[in-house]
Amino acid sequence: MDEKDKQSDNKELSRRTFFAKLGLGSLSVAAAGTAAFSYQYLSPNVLYEPSPVINAGKPESYPLDSVTQDVNSGIYIIHSQEGFFALQAICTHLGCMTAWKQELGIIACPCHGSKFYVHSEGNHKPGDKIEGPAPKPLPWKKMWVNDDGDLMVDRSTEIPAMQFVRV
Amino acid sequence: MPKTLENYFDELRQTKIWRSVFRSGSGRSTLHRSLAIQQNVFLHLFSTKVRKRMMSFSATWYLGTLTFGTFLILVITGVLLMLYYHPSVPQAYADTKDLQFVVSSGMFLRNLHRWSAHAMVFLVFAHMFKVFYRGAYRPPREFNWVIGVVLLLITLLLSYTGYLLPWDQLAYWAITVGSNIALAVPVIGNKIHFLLLGGNAVNANALLRFYVLHCVILPLTAVVLIAVHFWRIRKDGGLYVHQSEPARAKAAAAPATRQSEISKPEAK
Amino acid sequence: MDKDFVTGVDSNAKKSPRRVAFITRRTSAAVKVTDEEQVQTYPELLFRVAVAIEILFIALVVTALLFNAPLEGLADPSHTPNPAKAPWYFLGLQELLHYFPPMVAGVLAPGLVVMALIVIPYFNINIEAEGLFLKDRKRRLTIFAIVSIAVTVFLIIFDVYVAVPGTLIIAALMAIAAYSSPQSPSYARRYLAAKPLSFWIMTWFLIELVVLTAVGTFFRGPGWSWVLPWQSY
Repeated sequence: MDEKDKQSDNKELSRRTFFAKLGLGSLSVAAAGTAAFSYQYLSPNVLYEPSPVINAGKPESYPLDSVTQDVNSGIYIIHSQEGFFALQAICTHLGCMTAWKQELGIIACPCHGSKFYVHSEGNHKPGDKIEGPAPKPLPWKKMWVNDDGDLMVDRSTEIPAMQFVRV
Repeated sequence: MPKTLENYFDELRQTKIWRSVFRSGSGRSTLHRSLAIQQNVFLHLFSTKVRKRMMSFSATWYLGTLTFGTFLILVITGVLLMLYYHPSVPQAYADTKDLQFVVSSGMFLRNLHRWSAHAMVFLVFAHMFKVFYRGAYRPPREFNWVIGVVLLLITLLLSYTGYLLPWDQLAYWAITVGSNIALAVPVIGNKIHFLLLGGNAVNANALLRFYVLHCVILPLTAVVLIAVHFWRIRKDGGLYVHQSEPARAKAAAAPATRQSEISKPEAK
Repeated sequence: MDKDFVTGVDSNAKKSPRRVAFITRRTSAAVKVTDEEQVQTYPELLFRVAVAIEILFIALVVTALLFNAPLEGLADPSHTPNPAKAPWYFLGLQELLHYFPPMVAGVLAPGLVVMALIVIPYFNINIEAEGLFLKDRKRRLTIFAIVSIAVTVFLIIFDVYVAVPGTLIIAALMAIAAYSSPQSPSYARRYLAAKPLSFWIMTWFLIELVVLTAVGTFFRGPGWSWVLPWQSY
């Protein structure tokens, strides 16, 4: 009788645990699904923000060896000997707007004194840090010429340094 | 394998971290189960034990529970919907369209919110009628009935204020018609209408007021009154189950033991 | 003869000396509950609640997946759709508005209904729950006859024809109850005989609520004119 009790005991336990496992299993699946769908729901598919792509106009409007800052879009359009390129104007330290110091030939940030190269000098590329607390150099932004012959800059895409657009 | 899973959870429950969160630990004993209710800030609204007959389905059809369930669904879906909704004119309509066509799962959430709202209104009426027909409003439960009536009104108001939020033709004119009824109140009708809409017509002010009413004022009031409603159930002696119900069932099964109110059954 | 109290004897002599108690009928429910089987809230009650809410949730989720919430065009204050209907739970009210001025249908009627609901538990006649016609039968029968005729006439005068069938049904059932008793042969007649006044009034209210809401939902078209549900407008 002891054996029988143990037998039925085992059977009862396994049925109970089966349903417990089934229940918990479905609950976990449902929870995982809910989490996935919630994440999707919470990430907006549509943003009410201006496009990161800027139309900078005709290349002719940028003379050779010129540095033009557009404070509204936060970039520098630079026409150097090697060609055109765009640098981010927002300091990589804490997000302040940098300024081009023509007399010094550098870009400087007023907030905490970071300074950046704007021309190639020796080993240093445009955008590299001269001094200051900024952790990274000013990134180069993707630039191309569109079908109308306009210079285009995509602020959301960074490119490796020293990639010039030749017109 | 099942045994080790249980063991694992039992071990988990003995850890310092677990016991720091759930102070009385957890387990299967009656003590632990009582503590799980009594030591929990949310659950100790309930008593640790309930009369078995209270849980009979035929007594209440669980309508009160179901009404509360729809309320929970509405709060959760409502808060989620609020993340994409600007209560301004005409942005509100654009946002409702966005929710339906652009936002992932937006259509589903909006549908769920809408149908739960209709379900809640229906269930709260059904709950009221069921409580009435089984006489569960009788003393000492009179005041709980009154709270229930107030909750009914709040439910209707919640549904009404929410109706305006999509800012479509259906919403706008339903609310215009409804708020014009307020004008019919003697003496203060005009004032009520003006205060309700924040103006003389259903416009941006009205939308904002209805939004605040729908999302903040009425839900907070509802939560407070629901807590009182549950508390009163407990204090009034638990859910009312009519004496004759179990007597009929028991009489069918065994000799009646409830003939007189205070004679106790001989055997356990 | 109906005594107003019940006597009983506490049989556990060890716990308490023999005593005889007189308890008036139908007093506070708390007095009636003496020795009842109790179970733990967790898990018995909480699991039942959880299952009930889960089933509700599944039903609502399926509905939400299958049916879309309506969305019409942008709100246009200059263009009133025809008909302009309130949400379904107010359609009963809107139907009443068709017959009576706003002051009556919109303020008086709902106000009185809410008031009546609130005071139900404070009236003795609702607490006693005795069959309406089991006491004072002749007088109550007369009052019932007068009131039901008056209500029907009132409804007809004000053209509220939709509410008449419900009233007549209740009146008929009440009449059957008046001529039944707890000793009647059929279960139905015993059931009706036992129903108190509050039951009749509430049931009448429930029927009219359903009828008026149904009419407002399905039978009203442009200009609040009478249409049949399958007629498109």
